[in-house]
Amino acid sequence: MSSISLKNVKKSFGAVDILQGIDLEIADGEFTVFVGPSGCGKSTLLRLICGLDEVSAGEIVIDGEIVNDVPPAKRGIAMVFQNYALYPHMSVAQNMGYSLRLAGTDKAEIEKRVGDAAAVLRLDKLLDRKPRQLSGGQRQRVAIGRAIVRKPQVFLFDEPLSNLDAALRVDMRVEIASLKERLGTTMIYVTHDQVEAMTLADKIVVMHAGRVEQVGSPLELYRRPANLFVAGFIGSPRMNVLRAEADERGTLRLENGTVLPVTAPAGARQVSVGIRAEHLSLSDDPGAFVLRGRARVVEHLGSDMFVHVSVDGASDPVIVRCPDEMELAIGSAVSVGFEAANAHLFAPDGQRIVSADARRSAA
Amino acid sequence: MAFAVQDSGKGPAAALRVSPHAERGGLKARERRVGWLFLAPALIAFVAVILVPFLRALGLAFTRYDLQTPVPEFIGLGNFHAILTSPEILGSFVTTAIYVVLATAGSVLLGLSWALILNQPFRGRAALRAMSLIPWVLPSTVTAFVWGWIFNSRFGVLNALLTSLGVIDYPTAWLSTSGGAMTAIVITKVWFSVPLFMSFFLAGLQSLDKEQLEAARVDGAHNLALLRDHILPHLKPVMLVVIVLGVIGNLQHFDTIFALTGGGPVRATSVLSIEVYRRAFDQWDIGMASAVGLLWVATILPAAWFYLRHLLKGA
Repeated sequence: MSSISLKNVKKSFGAVDILQGIDLEIADGEFTVFVGPSGCGKSTLLRLICGLDEVSAGEIVIDGEIVNDVPPAKRGIAMVFQNYALYPHMSVAQNMGYSLRLAGTDKAEIEKRVGDAAAVLRLDKLLDRKPRQLSGGQRQRVAIGRAIVRKPQVFLFDEPLSNLDAALRVDMRVEIASLKERLGTTMIYVTHDQVEAMTLADKIVVMHAGRVEQVGSPLELYRRPANLFVAGFIGSPRMNVLRAEADERGTLRLENGTVLPVTAPAGARQVSVGIRAEHLSLSDDPGAFVLRGRARVVEHLGSDMFVHVSVDGASDPVIVRCPDEMELAIGSAVSVGFEAANAHLFAPDGQRIVSADARRSAA
Repeated sequence: MAFAVQDSGKGPAAALRVSPHAERGGLKARERRVGWLFLAPALIAFVAVILVPFLRALGLAFTRYDLQTPVPEFIGLGNFHAILTSPEILGSFVTTAIYVVLATAGSVLLGLSWALILNQPFRGRAALRAMSLIPWVLPSTVTAFVWGWIFNSRFGVLNALLTSLGVIDYPTAWLSTSGGAMTAIVITKVWFSVPLFMSFFLAGLQSLDKEQLEAARVDGAHNLALLRDHILPHLKPVMLVVIVLGVIGNLQHFDTIFALTGGGPVRATSVLSIEVYRRAFDQWDIGMASAVGLLWVATILPAAWFYLRHLLKGA
């Protein structure tokens, strides 16, 4: 069990600043997910915590001790690598027992701990195989098993599921979630997949261009994104954004003068109005809602369908999620509406505008 | 497509005809014919320059053919009997074995160490890598003269160095003692082979997964454990090829030995290549030289067979 705190951690490679001062607290036993687009620095941050790279500035603290200069093996951590990084010439059992062998643990104890981990991960029948004789999912389980055997204080996962096919990814996600319940160890998990982040995390850290954009529980991020970047990154499909202008009384209008059913707080001028696909309503009656437009693309998912609508007065099409029972012809005139409580307002610099409406809905 | 034919009511596959664009003899026939065409020059050269002379030499090994016998005269296994009873020639086999073991082991060890150093990131690595190839690029006679001067008893750097360090009191005539001469030819060959072996090992090291080493570090492996448990097992296939190539190359080696010691002092460095050369071109005993040469080839064959099998299995 361990808590981790990062104090103004920076990392640069030559003149390039990869991480620009990260501050973060991770509580004991917490499952924290670093999420962000490729190149945002999330894997670099994980490698710093692991001790594979040196920090350029700042402090990494594990359990109240500064560990900047402590080698990986002595930080009480275990890491699961993206490409599994199994030892190709060793059997599954040897892979899993390697750290114990190096530590001089006696054979019976190694065998017992490898056996226990193998049973948990359903690897008991594969212990004599070499990594190349295993499927992708099995290799991933060996990599996790190798980490479990060490009984680490902290688990680090670097995009562990990105090399698996979609179905296997769902299975392994469930497996990692149940592992988290059973072990209760502090875990840090890096992914670019916001679905993995939402489903696994106690706490999500959204990163972008070497900075932390927002830290919070999955639902906090989903319900109250701090800025446009988080709003666009968390949730699938992406949050729709309408560019609108506010007058002195806070009335928001699209380019063509359409009045939106939400008002901006005093002082706001250029406002980006974000609404999630599931919070938009669609009608084939052009008069039913305020936003008029035409259906451009219809994506059927079985239970739901996504309708891409080009809205009059908006530059980008919006995506509406509705039950997959509507009959809708491509090109037909439709109208789209939403409730003020579901709208997120953002200033031109991308930061969330805390409106009276939003305050009330959050309370 | 089959459904389309039946639906059109024209009947099943019997009605289908072969496309006029079909290649005669199958899809790859043309490629095969062109392949043989490209192979032909090399094949002809091999037969004319290597296979035929080799078979002729094979025949000469069973003849007496020297200064007193201008026409080869068949004597069966006579030459081989003479070899078995000649301590000089049997000694050559022992000398060759010592030379091959020392030169190969030295080249492999130093080549591997050098590759491990050059695989570390440091400033000026690329320049050092390029410079490392110099010994291999130099003509072997130049190499031999360079080392000849280093070992020279009166003007050599080695004597100067050892005297100034106080290791020896008087200059030593290295190339005039049997141990010194053997050491000299081994060092020269190692110096010449290290760049090539280093390149092999370096290529192998670069294909080693970095994450694997990082995972091992997290697992608690220190440098020695990384080398023992990860780097050497990864390099095993390269190691096999390098050792076999080294053994073959050292069994065949001639030029720097000939230039440095000429096989001396007396017979101390007279390996099989030198022995064959002396028999053939000093004593003009072609029959005997062919017989020794045949046995010499026989020592190379197992290594060559092993190497080819490894090569073909990989392909």
